[in-house]
Amino acid sequence: MKNMLYKEFKLSVHPTCYLFLLLSSMLLIPNYPYYVSFFYQTLGIFFIFVGGQANNDVYFTTLLPIPKRDAVKARCMTIVILELLQIVVSIPFAIIRGTLIPLENQAGMEANVAFFGLVFVMFGLFNLSFLTLFYKTAYKMGVPYLFACISMTVFVGLSELAIQLTPVLKTTMDTFNPVYLPQQLMVLLVGILIFVLLTILSYRKAAAHFEQIDL
Amino acid sequence: MLKKVSEKSNNSFVTTDIKNRYEILSVRNLTKSYDTFKLKDVSFTLDPGTIMGFVGRNGAGKTTTLKAMVNLVHSDSGNVSFFGMDIKTHESEIKQHISFSFGGVDYYLQKKLSSITDVYRRFYDQWDEKAYQDYLNRFELDPKKKAKELSQGMRVKYSLALALSHHAEILILDEPTSGLDPVSRDEILNIFEEVVDEHQTSILFSTHITSDLEKCADKITYIKNGQLVVSQEMKSFTDSYLLVNGSSDQLTESLQNTIIGCHERRGEFSGLIRLQDSGVTQGIKTAPADLESIMVHIERKQTK
Repeated sequence: MKNMLYKEFKLSVHPTCYLFLLLSSMLLIPNYPYYVSFFYQTLGIFFIFVGGQANNDVYFTTLLPIPKRDAVKARCMTIVILELLQIVVSIPFAIIRGTLIPLENQAGMEANVAFFGLVFVMFGLFNLSFLTLFYKTAYKMGVPYLFACISMTVFVGLSELAIQLTPVLKTTMDTFNPVYLPQQLMVLLVGILIFVLLTILSYRKAAAHFEQIDL
Repeated sequence: MLKKVSEKSNNSFVTTDIKNRYEILSVRNLTKSYDTFKLKDVSFTLDPGTIMGFVGRNGAGKTTTLKAMVNLVHSDSGNVSFFGMDIKTHESEIKQHISFSFGGVDYYLQKKLSSITDVYRRFYDQWDEKAYQDYLNRFELDPKKKAKELSQGMRVKYSLALALSHHAEILILDEPTSGLDPVSRDEILNIFEEVVDEHQTSILFSTHITSDLEKCADKITYIKNGQLVVSQEMKSFTDSYLLVNGSSDQLTESLQNTIIGCHERRGEFSGLIRLQDSGVTQGIKTAPADLESIMVHIERKQTK
């Protein structure tokens, strides 16, 4: 697996993935739907697959002495690494935003602990819809990405609606008030758990699909 | 067991012991159905240190067979074993000891050869860096060049350099000489011969350029409409046919029943007959058949 990850980062990862990490700085914008900066990383991940098609990545990978399943596992791990990196790089900006800019975000959730829990769920949904659909063919990526975008948008829209329209959620979740940190930590933990479960599920389904197809 | 296979013995990577015990490649009753095409019960074996040409017209099933052999295509039935191991259950181990290429290096064309090799070599237990450097020099490959900057012939050489540097014992190549100029083709075929002679490597390559096979193949496997026609020694195959031609009034009924791919024009006929049927050709001009004529006549018979 170490070799496959080396291959992924040496040959396959698209440079925009690193560039989009810098878009974490969008969390400094006082009024902004902060999910967007994380959405960009899914675009970077999509570019890995677009580049993979242009570079015959699937063919190159099948030449290597590894099970087909490992190729999917390495790609899933690469995606998870990029998603986690995006979150890690965002944290300092979220802290700066929360401590130095004393303005409420008028465009959606504050970039607080609960928000990161919801970002984990968003990434989990992306992984599930994009990976499982892509590996049904290992070459069609437009429709899988469209479905992934729809699933992320629906989730973000519904969670924002729920938080903005439900007073108790608005009070506890859309705030930097440390009093509500326990509740927000719970959302973060549940978010991480959902991310892990959805990602494992997406790997299993994607690997099963990939093993079935003729290349 | 595999370890034993990989032991080096007098510059040969397949030990005599293993050679005697296992066919290095055995394809048995390979079947694969598509909506418009069916591969039917294809069976053949590859001997160590030999070059086998895999021939057939476009769409005959050559690439499907080769892909099914390395598990890129899932066969409906039949089995493929390398060194006595089934590809479906020992894919990774087998791939350590074989190399295959479908159309040469056409991946990561924007990357330098050194970057591709840096990734590729990590996957092989037997990677031999010195051998790789030797092949680069011998094939005049510049590792600083991007893959897209290589000519078609150089791409084939690069894929051979990669394969030979992890001491692949079997090379499976799909049309490695297609699209190459005659000089480059000759060069590649000479490399095939050297590889087989020096390292006891075995090569199975598909082609529809029959002159390539006449230059270097020990055996041919001929496939038509998804079915195996023959898999045998090249010479004995070509020796088993004769070309015949004469005037149309010499085309007797018994000859018409035996002639293959008969073509008549302006009172003359030409065709192919099996050597065993040569009794019906008394008084008719015959000539030795080459592989191309045999293929053309057999395919013509089918389409008539």
